Amino acid sequence: MTTWELFTNGFGVLMDPYTLMMVVFAIIVGTIFGALPGVSATMAVALGLPFTYSMQPIPAIVFLVAVYCSSITGGSITAILFKIPGVPSSAPTTFDGYPMAQRGEAGKALGIALGSSAIGGLVSALAMLTLSPQLTQAALSFSPADIFAITFMGLSILTCLDSKNILRTLISGLLGLLLACVGQDPMYAVQRLTFGSGELIAGLEMIPVLIGIFAVTEVLKQTKKRDKLSAEEGTASVNTKMPSFKEWWGIKWLLARCSVIGTVIGILPGAGATIASFLCYSSETKLSKHPEKFGTGIIDGIAASETANNAATGGAMVPLLSLGIPGGNAAAVMMSALVLKGVQLGPLLLVNQPQYLSATFASMVVTNILMVIVAIGIAKVFAQILAVPYSYLGPIIIMLAIIGSYATNMSIADVKIMAIAGVIGLIISACHFNSAALILGLVLGVICEGNFSRAYTINRADVIGMFSRPVAGTLMVISIVLLLWPIVSSLFKRKDA
Amino acid sequence: MFELICNILLWLGLLYAYFFNVLEAPIPDRVARNPYTLKPDMWPKAIIILLLICIAINIVKIIRKNRNNPEFSLDALLSIRARMCIGIALIVGASFVLEPLGYMVTCVLVLFFYGLLLGQKHVIRLAIMSVILTFVLYIVFSVLLSVNLPRGTIPELRNFSLYVESLVSSAKSAIM
Repeated sequence: MTTWELFTNGFGVLMDPYTLMMVVFAIIVGTIFGALPGVSATMAVALGLPFTYSMQPIPAIVFLVAVYCSSITGGSITAILFKIPGVPSSAPTTFDGYPMAQRGEAGKALGIALGSSAIGGLVSALAMLTLSPQLTQAALSFSPADIFAITFMGLSILTCLDSKNILRTLISGLLGLLLACVGQDPMYAVQRLTFGSGELIAGLEMIPVLIGIFAVTEVLKQTKKRDKLSAEEGTASVNTKMPSFKEWWGIKWLLARCSVIGTVIGILPGAGATIASFLCYSSETKLSKHPEKFGTGIIDGIAASETANNAATGGAMVPLLSLGIPGGNAAAVMMSALVLKGVQLGPLLLVNQPQYLSATFASMVVTNILMVIVAIGIAKVFAQILAVPYSYLGPIIIMLAIIGSYATNMSIADVKIMAIAGVIGLIISACHFNSAALILGLVLGVICEGNFSRAYTINRADVIGMFSRPVAGTLMVISIVLLLWPIVSSLFKRKDA
Repeated sequence: MFELICNILLWLGLLYAYFFNVLEAPIPDRVARNPYTLKPDMWPKAIIILLLICIAINIVKIIRKNRNNPEFSLDALLSIRARMCIGIALIVGASFVLEPLGYMVTCVLVLFFYGLLLGQKHVIRLAIMSVILTFVLYIVFSVLLSVNLPRGTIPELRNFSLYVESLVSSAKSAIM
């Protein structure tokens, strides 16, 4: 079957009113699940699974794909409005989304998040349909050294996150890398840095730490402003003005870059949407003409993060469909659901069941378009919550943080980690460290160490040899230049002055 | 001053971790003997060494920057507002009492006391809202999303949670 036939067949499938209705229902469910803290994309797909038991295979596939894509997008809603990333991949969205919401530009921030999510999703869906076999082969030829070099490039942003405080930002990033070491080492499962606590053996769960450092710290800071808050209670207005065409046009290349990077990262096994969003945020900070504005509330930061994490969802479907290899946790749940429906994942899918590939593609395209309309409606409802007095909203955020942390693993230990992370976030802020750098280190730390260890063993402890491969070598050189550039340029500036 | 104390404590903590707590168990023999493998303690130790260097430089920078600053004293510690400390105590306390008290009681207490802390003056309205919001959050997470929220380990509170759950499930079956 040709690509064009796959394309037309897919849309033919979605012309069925029942299937289309399922897509809309899935988008509503997925967006709300994604917006709730503690309900990850994996959990959203798992929660959506029971709805599909009585469905035929095609509506079931369409439904699950729509839940998967929209849950990633939904995570941005609470990230922007309350600084609570609904899903871990929305964490970089908080850096610029929340400051925009605080300035009364919540509508614009949400519009950018939803629009760029749709663009990222559409590009990755097209890539899935047209380049699946080639992209999968290319991604699978990546060695651990190559993947380490990619994550190291993500870490190279550290010196750029706050160019005026390079040392403190480096300390924050290194602290994040150290926190990622808590638990068992990735190669031999030897316990490290657990300080005798059984609750830390499995390592630090990402969601509680993110919720603690972002949401809880913010609510704690608000307690200092009690008098101001009391005076403002109930008067907050929510501006739902959407971004203009000119603003979209201004970020066209950013959207293109992040769509491609997000799709490629999504294909890599074990990487996924979180790594993609952090990596794109970091690379766009480096490429921007005004890197100092990142983190202060600009649309570029939101667009980079949201384009990448949605592009990664499509990317994760590529190895899943063409090789039967799930790219991440959510894709693994998707895989079990699709197998349950009789889908033969792998190279034979295109030969024996091309209609399922068409349905997946069409569902992704339609979901990403409809999602903008449906999610804007949901976001507007969520945005009205900002008008609720903070003396009610603050405690609700704390309770959402507690339940969200608990729901991740049904573990009280995660709630304690969240609370401690909240206090640490406050200390980080008081000491002028950088919480974004800490999270970057924490997110990339595990994958960085795991791949470095594997590459070290494969290359028989030859570190230079590890980076003799063209991809790894080039990326490492770029990373080192990017890492050192702000330091060197500041030294030059000082000399000139 | 607060920043300096935090940096010094962090430096000392890292030094302690480097010498005593990086590994909680001995490295397996086959790993220790293999020259081509990265030992489990090498990566964290490398990070700790980099951190010790960076934090030491940061400490020196803080001292140099504030050498002639008359406000560079312990008074800065007192600037941490009492309300923020109460907020921290409430959140950390909630994380510890969640298991014994269960979701219902913890949620009502957090919503009520944090609301007071954030300046809500209508105490009765706040109390009523706390109870209502507890039920709304319970229905969203426990009923709609099937998250098994903690029931508590204290028998009376656990029985209360079970009673509420039975009421909700009978209401659910009546609606269905």
